Amino acid sequence: MEPELAVALPAAGALIGAALRPRPRVALIAGAALGVAGLAALVLAAPGLSSDQLGLRLSISAMSRALLLAGGGSLALVVAFAPARADRTALLTWGLAGLAGMAAIAAAPTLDLVILVTLGVALLHAALAGGRSLSARLRAPALAVALLGVGLVLARLEGPPVLARFAAVGLVAGLAAALGLLPYIHEFDPDEPTSASPIAWIAFLGPVIAVAVVMRARELIPTAAAAFGAMLVGLGLLNMLWGSLASWLTEKGTSAWHYSFMADWGLVLCAFGVQVADGQAAAVLVLYGILLSRLPLYLWSRQSLRERVQTDRPINLLAAALLAGSAPFAGFAARVLLLRGASQLYWPLALVIAAGLLLWLPPSLRLGRSLGLPRGRQAIGAGIAIAASVAMGLYPQPILTLAGL
Amino acid sequence: MPSTALLAPVAIPLLTAGAVAFCGVAGLKVDRVVLAVGSWGAIVVLIALWVPVRSTQELTLGPLGYGAPFDLRLDAVGFAFALMVLVPSAVLLTLQPRAWQEGTVAALGVAAAVLAVEAGGILLTAVAGGAAATLAVIQLDVEDPRASRPPWGILLAAWLALSWAGAILQVRGGTAVYAAVPVSAITVPIFVLLAAAALLASGLFPWRAWPSQLWGRPALRAAGMAMATMYPLGFYLLVRAYEIGDGGYPQFLLNAALATIGVLVAFGAAARAQSATTRREYLGEVIPGLGGFALMGISLGTSLGLAAGIATLVVAAILAACLPLLPDRAGPASLVLIAAAAGLPPGLAFGVRVLGLEATFEAGNLLGLLGIAGVATWIISIIAAARAIGLPAGRGHPAVETAPRVAMGLAAATILVGPALGLVLLALALPAQADVMASPAGVPIGGATSIVTVSTVLPALALFTPVLLLAAAAYIVAGPPAVPARQRPPLFELPGTKLLAGLRAEIRAATVPEQYRSLVDLRALEAAATGGGPLLWLAALVALAYAVTR
Amino acid sequence: MDTAAAIGAWLGAAVIVLADGRRGLAVGIGLVALGFAGLAWTEGSWVGTAFLVVGGAAAVIELLRARPHDWGFMPPGSTARLILAVVGGIISLWIAASVTTGPGAPLRFASLAVMALMSGRLLQSQSATAVLTAAAGLAIALAGASAIAPSGSDYAPYLLGAAIAAGALLLPVSESRGA
Repeated sequence: MEPELAVALPAAGALIGAALRPRPRVALIAGAALGVAGLAALVLAAPGLSSDQLGLRLSISAMSRALLLAGGGSLALVVAFAPARADRTALLTWGLAGLAGMAAIAAAPTLDLVILVTLGVALLHAALAGGRSLSARLRAPALAVALLGVGLVLARLEGPPVLARFAAVGLVAGLAAALGLLPYIHEFDPDEPTSASPIAWIAFLGPVIAVAVVMRARELIPTAAAAFGAMLVGLGLLNMLWGSLASWLTEKGTSAWHYSFMADWGLVLCAFGVQVADGQAAAVLVLYGILLSRLPLYLWSRQSLRERVQTDRPINLLAAALLAGSAPFAGFAARVLLLRGASQLYWPLALVIAAGLLLWLPPSLRLGRSLGLPRGRQAIGAGIAIAASVAMGLYPQPILTLAGL
Repeated sequence: MPSTALLAPVAIPLLTAGAVAFCGVAGLKVDRVVLAVGSWGAIVVLIALWVPVRSTQELTLGPLGYGAPFDLRLDAVGFAFALMVLVPSAVLLTLQPRAWQEGTVAALGVAAAVLAVEAGGILLTAVAGGAAATLAVIQLDVEDPRASRPPWGILLAAWLALSWAGAILQVRGGTAVYAAVPVSAITVPIFVLLAAAALLASGLFPWRAWPSQLWGRPALRAAGMAMATMYPLGFYLLVRAYEIGDGGYPQFLLNAALATIGVLVAFGAAARAQSATTRREYLGEVIPGLGGFALMGISLGTSLGLAAGIATLVVAAILAACLPLLPDRAGPASLVLIAAAAGLPPGLAFGVRVLGLEATFEAGNLLGLLGIAGVATWIISIIAAARAIGLPAGRGHPAVETAPRVAMGLAAATILVGPALGLVLLALALPAQADVMASPAGVPIGGATSIVTVSTVLPALALFTPVLLLAAAAYIVAGPPAVPARQRPPLFELPGTKLLAGLRAEIRAATVPEQYRSLVDLRALEAAATGGGPLLWLAALVALAYAVTR
Repeated sequence: MDTAAAIGAWLGAAVIVLADGRRGLAVGIGLVALGFAGLAWTEGSWVGTAFLVVGGAAAVIELLRARPHDWGFMPPGSTARLILAVVGGIISLWIAASVTTGPGAPLRFASLAVMALMSGRLLQSQSATAVLTAAAGLAIALAGASAIAPSGSDYAPYLLGAAIAAGALLLPVSESRGA
């Protein structure tokens, strides 16, 4: 019953939050209670064990469960320590809706359902009030769904071996399009609310979609596993390079944050692409970093970005070190694991990745400064995000155990 | 003592950082006292852990998650290097006033550096060393964001390189724990990676790198702490490499290459020191010069060289505590410190240099030639020291962060302790050397009164004590030299320096020619990449399909 | 029957690609839904058939409910879209009938053709109604394609696909609502 509850409770929280919007405090309490209950259901869910309450065998893998919990943690952090002017009820409502979607994607028994749920989420997300036109908001996620669908169909067809490779192309390109990575970057409007912007895909929904697609793709196309991995690594390196350079050199601060997510995703794709246990562990740690550190810091920096405030206080430098993946933050442990995984596969790849890792520093200094000087609730939130990252960096074993690694 | 006590030298600075932060937030102005108690407490605990046992103690607390167990080990190498980190840190944290934020970061940096040298394996050292580097950079930036500091990228590269070396060792040899890595696993490429990490971590370059540049900062609180916590770590890796390689590096050529770099580092420092325009500039070259000699000694691959190298680092650690406390004005404190640093007999700096150079001659072959280069370098550095006495002081750092008496006392101590060189070797350097490299058969190198090498016996006590007495008598009779401070011409100018400087300036000023700028127009590139153009998306799809069918 | 259903689905997708008006789009989505419902019927999944018919009908009603009631079929400048509809169909047919082997060629053809044409429409169109209709078509195609799985398909993809197809056109279609 737990997978069903993990989907239903946050969904109910989102609905109640939306319905009680005129009474924000009640909406916040009700939504939070249902969200926490959903997370409790997740904690109680035994990874891999399926539940058949609705005539559907739903089960959540250990890795997806770990990422869902991180997603819940991220939402809690963002809502609890939101800037004073932020609409916390809206944040919680849309966050819970996203969490329900993520749980549904994680629990879906087949890739067909994963893709269909993704399409549903894409449609709902496109319907949110934002600065871009509906077609612009829907274009890339819907293309992702189509590509994943074609990839899935090709993977299931009988025929020459090249079909499996084309299936791999569809799945990898679909994944990149769903996340909004180069070359399928989602149109970005810096002034758009975060919940309606591509950040929701790249930073919140993305981790669970990526795990669902990558894990199922490996089972679907075992004969094209090498091509699948190679494409992930190739796109990963491309995004590492583009994301870090663009984040450093772009004019707009908000766009810099957007690109920095892409750089992190480059690492994740490389980590998934190396296809050894260390790679998966690295991917999980980077995804935890995205959910629990980069996303909250981005949200907290939005006000100072609007006010064009830049500060050089210890908190900014700590945030910069965190974002750059310096020791002792989680990024460094992830990089160690990635280097180990790449060394097992092909050492020149590790060399290229190691060189690429240095590109994170200049943009991270810029992003750290753009955080401004957090005060009050935000300062506490930033402190928690930094402390969590240090804990994950020094002792990532509990997270890896939670993810079944 | 329970093995969990090994956590104490790391935990105490950590708790100190927490306490300082608490005091700072609570508005209690006792953070300096807390820092002093915490840092000296860590030293006391470290000594209490090591001295009664004087043998390796280990603590394993299970896997951390990146392939490294949380394995702490206190052996003679760890003890010596932990002291090199802790003692100067404690002196500076006790005597220099700093804001509670700076104090917190500094204490955390100390904890990270001690963890790096107490770690049982390469990966934990990499994480802890990387953390020490990060915290040092943060400290320096918090103190003065515009002043020069070590390039963060270089430091990150160093610790990433070490992590990679550790990862490869785990893949090839099954472990990256220092004491368990199979000798066959440490191949030349892996060693080169490890050595590169060491050189980058400590800024061991012949040109003016961060260990020199730090002393040009307007304030020297963070600079002193950065030197104390970061500088020994690169050397530590090179010492541990002997343990991994069962007492040697994979090839003699690597020893020779590193020793050559060491001499070049020392020569670079001496050359810059003799052309310094201020005394501060000269003092900035003291530690890089000693570092060069230490690198040379450590890299020789002989017991004597290794012991001399470690002892040189001990001297460097003491001077790292003195330099930030020294005011930028003429006087006995400056004079004594310059004498101590230059390696005038019978100081410790003199003794360790003699031993290091002797080790090169005893190693023979190419390394003997390096010894000659080392002697020449030493001569230049002594001339530079003599010249520095009469140089203008340079930009003064705040008087409130100086303690001339302590600086002079510590510098004088390194001179006075010179005759007890054997004891220093016996207490710190030789046990560390014995932990990583088999000692030669026969008479032990160090004794309380003399040092026995393959070719000779250096009766340190008998020889140095009269020299010390004579020097003291001469100083008392003659008094401090009255040398007017003025600009003095350098002894020589390095050929090609101007050419290199010009080349560097040209490279820095280089821009993309007008007609090619459109090729690297980021704005256009960004617009193309983010435009969401279906054509680009389809082209990418075709490209991927083409790539997988090749 | 399955061949006719597959051709019907492709025709429906081609109409969605070629039409800009709500009536044209309604015909297109209706044909797509009917085509895949027919294919589900031949696969023996009457539940799937029912879901797809209901979902498709709901989408058609939504399109016809609102104004303007126009066809907008092949407006000027539609040559590229016409080529896309024809070439997409031919390539899908070639893959389904010639490159791949095994039973169920009509389903393969319909799935590939509709998915390809719908993604083309999604990329090409700026109109919210056309994009949402294409998304609905995509949902129906994905649901129908789930029958290609070696173990067959249960009701869930059909239910979800139909729900998305029905719900997509209920979404507000105002183009931009400011920041």
